[in-house]
Amino acid sequence: MKEIETPNDAALARLQEPVAGAPPPAAKTAYGRAIVVTSGKGGVGKTTTTANLGTALADAGKRVAVVDADVGLRNLDVVLGLENRVNKHLLDVIEKQCTMEEALVRDRVRRTLYLLPAAQNREKDEVPEEAMCGIIRALQAQFDFVLIDCPAGIEQGFRNAVAGAQEAIVVTTPEVSAVRDADRVIGLLPPNVPAKLIVNRVRPALVRKNTMMSVDDVNNILRLELIGVVPDEKEIIIATNRGTPVIDIEGSETGAAFRRIARRLLGETIEIPAFQERQGLFSRFMSTLGIARP
Amino acid sequence: MNGKTFVITSGKGGVGKTTTTANVGTALAMLGNQVVLIDADIGLRNLDLVLGLEKRIVYDLVDLVEGRCQARQALIRDKRVDGLFLLPASQTKDKESVNEEQMRAVTLALAREFDVILIDCPAGIEHGFRNAVAGADEAVVVTTPEVSAIRDADRILGMLGGRRARLIINRVRLEMVRTGDMLSVDDVADILGREVIGVVPDDEEIIDTTNRGEPVVLDPTRRLARVYTAIARRLLGEQTPLPNLEDDGIWNRLRRLIGSRT
Repeated sequence: MKEIETPNDAALARLQEPVAGAPPPAAKTAYGRAIVVTSGKGGVGKTTTTANLGTALADAGKRVAVVDADVGLRNLDVVLGLENRVNKHLLDVIEKQCTMEEALVRDRVRRTLYLLPAAQNREKDEVPEEAMCGIIRALQAQFDFVLIDCPAGIEQGFRNAVAGAQEAIVVTTPEVSAVRDADRVIGLLPPNVPAKLIVNRVRPALVRKNTMMSVDDVNNILRLELIGVVPDEKEIIIATNRGTPVIDIEGSETGAAFRRIARRLLGETIEIPAFQERQGLFSRFMSTLGIARP
Repeated sequence: MNGKTFVITSGKGGVGKTTTTANVGTALAMLGNQVVLIDADIGLRNLDLVLGLEKRIVYDLVDLVEGRCQARQALIRDKRVDGLFLLPASQTKDKESVNEEQMRAVTLALAREFDVILIDCPAGIEHGFRNAVAGADEAVVVTTPEVSAIRDADRILGMLGGRRARLIINRVRLEMVRTGDMLSVDDVADILGREVIGVVPDDEEIIDTTNRGEPVVLDPTRRLARVYTAIARRLLGEQTPLPNLEDDGIWNRLRRLIGSRT
């Protein structure tokens, strides 16, 4: 299913050392930030957000660990294109079947980005919340950022993913069901975990036609600090299927939006632009004639 | 009566379980069946919103299971379509407040009075999933042509306890399949190895109808209405062919001819 696009990539892939035995990042004195990426509703873009923010933060020179907390339905490895390098996982570390260093998978391009994969054949109930806290704490000692990819829903998997986090990013889309679930999840976050909001998959053309909620509509309901708005593009599907982060796709508005969010996380003040719909030739032609698309 | 119970599931969230449940259920009722749609996503219910019935909820699934109401009190009748009922989930309880045995009892009781029961499963494979599957005779697995969704669908197919499972492939973008940027229906069916009873094109009108709480099948002039009605027929065993998605009107043919992007 996945292809290697260029000979360059192929060469690069062959040159990378295997995961086991990858050198651990240098020990740090200060603790990194542990941020859970959550949403309530599934399929709104938690995993894509985690992968792209992790990648962009690594590009900014930060040491980043991304943790897949979706035990049994892991996907962060696929989105990052690292699924063939997964060897050990989160539960192995908790159960002392391996060390943290053995379980961490180093990204093939960004050398300061590491993935802690989830077990695929285990259940979320097998992870105790305290053990999860311990894992996150241990990662915070070694990394500047620990991003936790939360599973959908509000069951044990959600509680585990939130357990070790000090901050939250709530991802939603401008759809009533996603906003309702986000609202529910915000109410379930511990009071000492501040949350920021990403509104994902915005289609400016639909907002203009009044068939989609605007970002303001969404945040009038949720009332969180808005840290980013991500436009909907088909590039994201291509990127996910290939296992490359969308921030690497040149000219992608989605990728640019994730890069800006990473910089905002680092404390920069960058305005959220108003997105323009890329018009196709035909719709432009039709709008010149004054005919709206059906 | 001895109705048939189907769970609509997927593993991955956001692939269209609730939209599918609402539209296939509405189509089944429009075809003359007595239908109950059960929202098994306790704590994160949404089927009520998609059906536009959220303001009429008094009792819910948890109330029914705990004996605080009768089935006829908890069921919300859809006034637009004869024979369509919703059994809503509780929004404030959690999934552990219902067990598999209770779900089996509820579906069995409903199957005595209705032709078809569709259970809208929550995302994931935790307690809520096991509850939703417990009372089902068969499963419908919804997936999209994306690696992560297919992987989760594959995982779920192994957790259905030997129930018959058929596939709906949702959000297919033919222009992306043609350019090789999206897996084709055949690719997905090959990987998952199950019968495909529906292929639903990605269509932005679904966002609008979902936000307004009007299942798209209610408007027979819509392209997706044809698609969901065909799925409803196939679900009950009719051998209707899958609608040809290529034949979607002069508009798209023109657009392809000019080669514009959307």
